[in-house]
Amino acid sequence: MNRYKPCGAIDHGIGRRQFMGEFLMGMGAIAGTSLFSHPLGATEVTQRGKSVVVVYLNGGVSQFESWDPKSDLETGGPFKSIPTSVPGIHISELLPYTAQQMHHMALIRSISTDLDDHGLANNIVRSGRTTRSATEYPELGSVVAKGLERADFPLPGHITTMVGGSGGRANNAAYLGPQYASVAIGAEKGGVVNTQLPDGMTVTADSRRHDWRRFVNGRHRSKVQSAEMDAYTQCYEQALRLMEKRELFDITREEESVQEAYSKTEFGKQMLLARRLVEAEVPFIEIQHGGWDFHHNNFEFHLHYVADFDRPFAHFIGDLHQRGLLERTLVIVMTEFGRTPKINAGYGRDHYPKAWSIALAGCGIQHGAVIGKTDPKGIEVTDRKVDHRHLFHTYLRAVGIDSSSEFDIAGRKFPIADPAFGPIKELLA
Amino acid sequence: MTTKFDPRASQSISDWEHNAKLLCCRVDPTGTYVVAGSIDYTIQRWEIGTGKKTSLAAHDNWVRTLGFSPDGSALYSGAYDGRWIAWDITSAAPQPIRVVQAHAGWVRGLAVSHDGKQIATCGNDKRVKVWSTDDGQLLREIDGHSSIPYCLQFVPNTYDLVSGDIVGNIHQWRGEDGTLVRSLTASEIFFHIGDIAPFGGIIHLSFSPDGKKLTASGLHKCSNAPAGNRRAVALTFDWTTGEKRSKQECLKKDIDATMWRAVYHPDGTMIGNVAKEIGFWNPDVDDVFHLIETPSDIFDLDLHPNQIDLYTAHFDGHVRCHRLGSSA
Repeated sequence: MNRYKPCGAIDHGIGRRQFMGEFLMGMGAIAGTSLFSHPLGATEVTQRGKSVVVVYLNGGVSQFESWDPKSDLETGGPFKSIPTSVPGIHISELLPYTAQQMHHMALIRSISTDLDDHGLANNIVRSGRTTRSATEYPELGSVVAKGLERADFPLPGHITTMVGGSGGRANNAAYLGPQYASVAIGAEKGGVVNTQLPDGMTVTADSRRHDWRRFVNGRHRSKVQSAEMDAYTQCYEQALRLMEKRELFDITREEESVQEAYSKTEFGKQMLLARRLVEAEVPFIEIQHGGWDFHHNNFEFHLHYVADFDRPFAHFIGDLHQRGLLERTLVIVMTEFGRTPKINAGYGRDHYPKAWSIALAGCGIQHGAVIGKTDPKGIEVTDRKVDHRHLFHTYLRAVGIDSSSEFDIAGRKFPIADPAFGPIKELLA
Repeated sequence: MTTKFDPRASQSISDWEHNAKLLCCRVDPTGTYVVAGSIDYTIQRWEIGTGKKTSLAAHDNWVRTLGFSPDGSALYSGAYDGRWIAWDITSAAPQPIRVVQAHAGWVRGLAVSHDGKQIATCGNDKRVKVWSTDDGQLLREIDGHSSIPYCLQFVPNTYDLVSGDIVGNIHQWRGEDGTLVRSLTASEIFFHIGDIAPFGGIIHLSFSPDGKKLTASGLHKCSNAPAGNRRAVALTFDWTTGEKRSKQECLKKDIDATMWRAVYHPDGTMIGNVAKEIGFWNPDVDDVFHLIETPSDIFDLDLHPNQIDLYTAHFDGHVRCHRLGSSA
């Protein structure tokens, strides 16, 4: 167990974000670093109220069947392209609702990476690094949670909405520490699961037992101090704050018409929860839409999967705009790579990192922009080739985080993003 | 010289190439032509006697389904452009006789009635529609499938229809008014992937030559749908009682496959595609008794009226013919 001596500075109040769940999984990752040293140092960012929402299409969505259609060509598949609300921009016919929100969006059609393994590709697009060194890097959500952190904020700064999610922490914050790791919480009726007091437990009795816990903890901490113990303590405090906010996660509190507009699918429910979390100014929210790895039957599956995505996503963008939230929210439709131009014998598409696309919406970007292009068959990037490192800088800059600055972790400097790269400047507003 | 049907003695007799993937094929009832639908939006017609190829272009998307009038004078095609087209298939350069916008979304299946007076189509709009071949008018529209119907057939010698959908429902519709007569379920050849997408279902329906059996072909044993791990299967029903009979598959060889089409030889032998192979079953016997390997995945097959030559449409753009027997 690592022994450490906290300096007692007020900044170290970040530890309150430690949250009940699987957070200790992250403890191994931070061994050797000081968990509660200055989080941002000279590079502290003071953005207020901004949010980043990632809709992660897990498995690798096809760029042909989404953002970069190649209709009427052998590589293009059977789906046509349709016009959008931005003259001259066409996307797949599978996205009719999203097409009407394009004036709030931007496309990047020239992403070229070099990893076609799900795990490795997932890691690089989330971390903005090519992890061939011993250093593990925090994912975008952790960096944003730290970069947009506010001292009095009662909720976790990095939330992954997940069906049945009950507060478990992932291990994706690396040297930033588990308080910035993602917390999985679902859109459930009644709010966060397992946060009601047990039968027979009164608020008064519950308060008394927490007072006792704090007293015992404090007495013990005066003799023995460790990051793990503080993490445990902060976990309890975070859980208590979350219990007070449980109704935020209860989407059935929304009007029936609102729930219907988002679709009462699992994805629609998570998107509605994401809107509520944006309203609550949670810095980073991720919604996962899984299973896009269509090596077989690609077109049949996209027919259903893109339809499942399209209406809730488009309504989310429109809803954020109508509520005035889009101007402080960056939305990223992320995936780990694209799919092959070549259609295989199972009418599937395989992994293709060489030329693929993502979509963005919201704050800090040029609406209606299309960055880069691919050749007519979608095989090669022919203009403005970018990769995950450019994207990472761009996401951060769009919400006002200086991606060229550094984290100061126990006196050791960690560049926030890969210093050899920069943002896609022409995309930034 | 006669040829006795014997798949074990088969030989390849022709191999014609197109430069794009093929999805479907049919042989005309006179045995003059074999036609194939392609993902390049064309239909290719080969004259069987000479191998001469002619291209038919009028669709605006993948050509998925084909059917001939009983006299072979007209070809009907259905495509992912939502249209069916009637062609004067016997002319030197076939042209569309009629183009009908039939469905919102893809046309999945097409069938021609026994007398050639009606055709039926089904599509992504979940509808089954019946059309007059004389004037292209819509005769009936059936809105009874909860999910996309993949295929349909006329019940032999009637205007009744049977259609199968993506979630394993088989419905019989009355020819006179389109009302539901009865339903059969083949839910064991349907899988739901991630609560979002159905997978499998009734890919094709075939009646036995005596009209007493209905066979639904497709896939089962799905272990990983996006990766394509599944096995081809034919599920046969007693048409009179609606009871399930055998489930026939290729057990002697592990092959990930969907059975896109299974047809009956007049002697009752069932013939179906299993990825790159052609499988042969005896009635009510579980396993194939013979497999013929081909160079490329098969997406459709059809018997020549001589009941000996089998034509297959392939992923590599070829139409191949195997003579299923030896000369005697």
